[in-house]
Amino acid sequence: MKTVLIQNCPGFEEWRNAARKCLIQNLSPDLILWQDKTSDFQNDLFARISDEKRNCSEKIISIPKAFIEKASVAICYKSEDRFDFLYRLLWRIVYEDKNLLLKINDDDIIQFGRMLKAVYRDAYKIKAYVRFREIIDNDEPLYISWYEPEHYSLEIPLNFFTTRFANMRWVIITPYKAVYWDKMTLRFCNNPDPALFPKEDRFEEYWCTYYASIFNPARVKRQAMLNQMPKKYWKNMPETKLIDGLLKDSRERVNNMFKNQD
Amino acid sequence: MSDKIASKLEILADAAKYDASCASGTAGKRSPKKGSKEIGSLTGGTGICHSFTPDGRCVSLLKILMTNYCIYDCHYCINRKSSNVKRARFTVQEVVDLTLNFYKRNYIEGLFLSSGIIKDPDYTMESMVRIAKSLRLDHGFRGYIHLKTIPNASPHLQEEAGLYADRLSINIEMPTQESLKTFAPEKQLLDITNSMGRIREKISESKAERKAPKFSPGGQSTQMVIGADSTNDSIILKSSDSLYNKHKLRRVYYSAFSPIPDASKILPLKPAPLIREHRLYQADWLMRFYEFKVDEILQGTDNDMLDLTLDPKMAWALHNRHLFPVDLNKAEKHMLLRVPGLGTKTVAKILYIRKFSSVTWQDLVKLRAPLSKIKAFIIVRDYKPPITLLDSAFLGNQMRQVEQMELFS
Repeated sequence: MKTVLIQNCPGFEEWRNAARKCLIQNLSPDLILWQDKTSDFQNDLFARISDEKRNCSEKIISIPKAFIEKASVAICYKSEDRFDFLYRLLWRIVYEDKNLLLKINDDDIIQFGRMLKAVYRDAYKIKAYVRFREIIDNDEPLYISWYEPEHYSLEIPLNFFTTRFANMRWVIITPYKAVYWDKMTLRFCNNPDPALFPKEDRFEEYWCTYYASIFNPARVKRQAMLNQMPKKYWKNMPETKLIDGLLKDSRERVNNMFKNQD
Repeated sequence: MSDKIASKLEILADAAKYDASCASGTAGKRSPKKGSKEIGSLTGGTGICHSFTPDGRCVSLLKILMTNYCIYDCHYCINRKSSNVKRARFTVQEVVDLTLNFYKRNYIEGLFLSSGIIKDPDYTMESMVRIAKSLRLDHGFRGYIHLKTIPNASPHLQEEAGLYADRLSINIEMPTQESLKTFAPEKQLLDITNSMGRIREKISESKAERKAPKFSPGGQSTQMVIGADSTNDSIILKSSDSLYNKHKLRRVYYSAFSPIPDASKILPLKPAPLIREHRLYQADWLMRFYEFKVDEILQGTDNDMLDLTLDPKMAWALHNRHLFPVDLNKAEKHMLLRVPGLGTKTVAKILYIRKFSSVTWQDLVKLRAPLSKIKAFIIVRDYKPPITLLDSAFLGNQMRQVEQMELFS
């Protein structure tokens, strides 16, 4: 049994290097124990993968590019066995069927697809639900957000932010990592302090006013809202504090409209 | 926070909410120049929904009226001259500030600006254009702008609007001239369709010449109020069909007439059922993405009204049972798209699986196809429906129950 410890989060590069070495050494998935820093592991079990090429002579293993691209996304899926699952999949692609990815009715491929979908959805929600608060720092505005993604997907939507807000300075803080854009480059920092997120913003109340006013009390569809914006996202969105009140008052507001028409 | 701005925002957002359109996509990709003062982008997709209100609608744009003062008296409209709602008017600067500040906080994809008519159509249109122009030229705003153009405004103002806006729209309001006459006496159907025609021409001119300045790259859309008058679904859908084909509209929005504060006496007392709006959207979808003709959708309906209890595709299938069951391993795409419960994505996956193996019942389970809905209508390698299923007089009711379950799940 070989134990591999992945230090970074989500840790794709590390996983890829380790997986390549394991493949070259012909280590079947059952022989590897993948761990990240949150796993309970004992140090004496821990061993780094050595570079020796055991019982195989300089063999060239080709891995489909499409798999590498997708795996770099799927690895953001928060589950204990994500490294193990991806290695098993890679193993099957190399030794069983190099076209496995095309079999959309294979159980592992379906699982892989679900992981990708979950991560992409999570990344989309970051683009949608990140809310910046403005502070003045060094005589210049700085926009700061606190966001709790469901998976390790912070890095996936960053292209969106560096494009749209290219000429603004901004920070997105998540529980496991923060990212800072200074109009030129991105910088990352692990385990950031959530207290950096400002307590208020001068436009947030306008936004809440807008949200309350654009709601139509005559067409309540609570479930349709929840399908797109489940409660787990609410805590970092200032407008959601209004939802219960808007729903509670909607019936009376509509009744008043009818009354006034008579 | 300034109370003045907040109360204007309250009035002018409230007045804008009856416009159903929220989309902010299909205008291509765009990004700011690095190192400039520019801000904003278009992602090329359908635009991002930054929030959802309890009416289930997506909040993607700052959707407001420039002013809700209006010289017109359209009965279905909350802002008509004779209504006693509170009035307000934003300055150019106020709209620009709100848009930019909301945008920088990642609340919105851009601005959707509409307006009541003050003084005359040209004066109103000109003020709206100034807002879009200031955002684009003074502030380098590269996000989305949708302008609701004013019918009867001069063509040169519409042309200028198209240079700054990603999408232009004019509300057709009612599907027939007769209904317009009753409900919007100052509006003429011909003026509205003429404007659409002019915008359409400018869009195709700009597309034909690569060097021409971009003109409303996201196309144009419109909206119809449903259920305030007695127009039936057949007339509505035929009118949409002609808007899609003749004027190349990107979207027709249907807005079920909903009660408004201080409503006009000639309006119906009851709101139109939201389910009717839903069925019209489903029918609209069938025309645009499923190769259905209007006449096919209306086959077998009572009084040219869609069946409120059934998805129009299911209604069509029940009326054309002789065409089913469809063998998913043999049928052409056109026919796969006609199976109730199979959407365009599932159809694409079925065609894909067919390339290397034959489709089985288990595959449908894995694709998460709605089995109870499709089981009467399909054949796969290891499954064939009992003949009695399609012939059953109860099938229609069973399918109604299945749809009820879906609606409330």
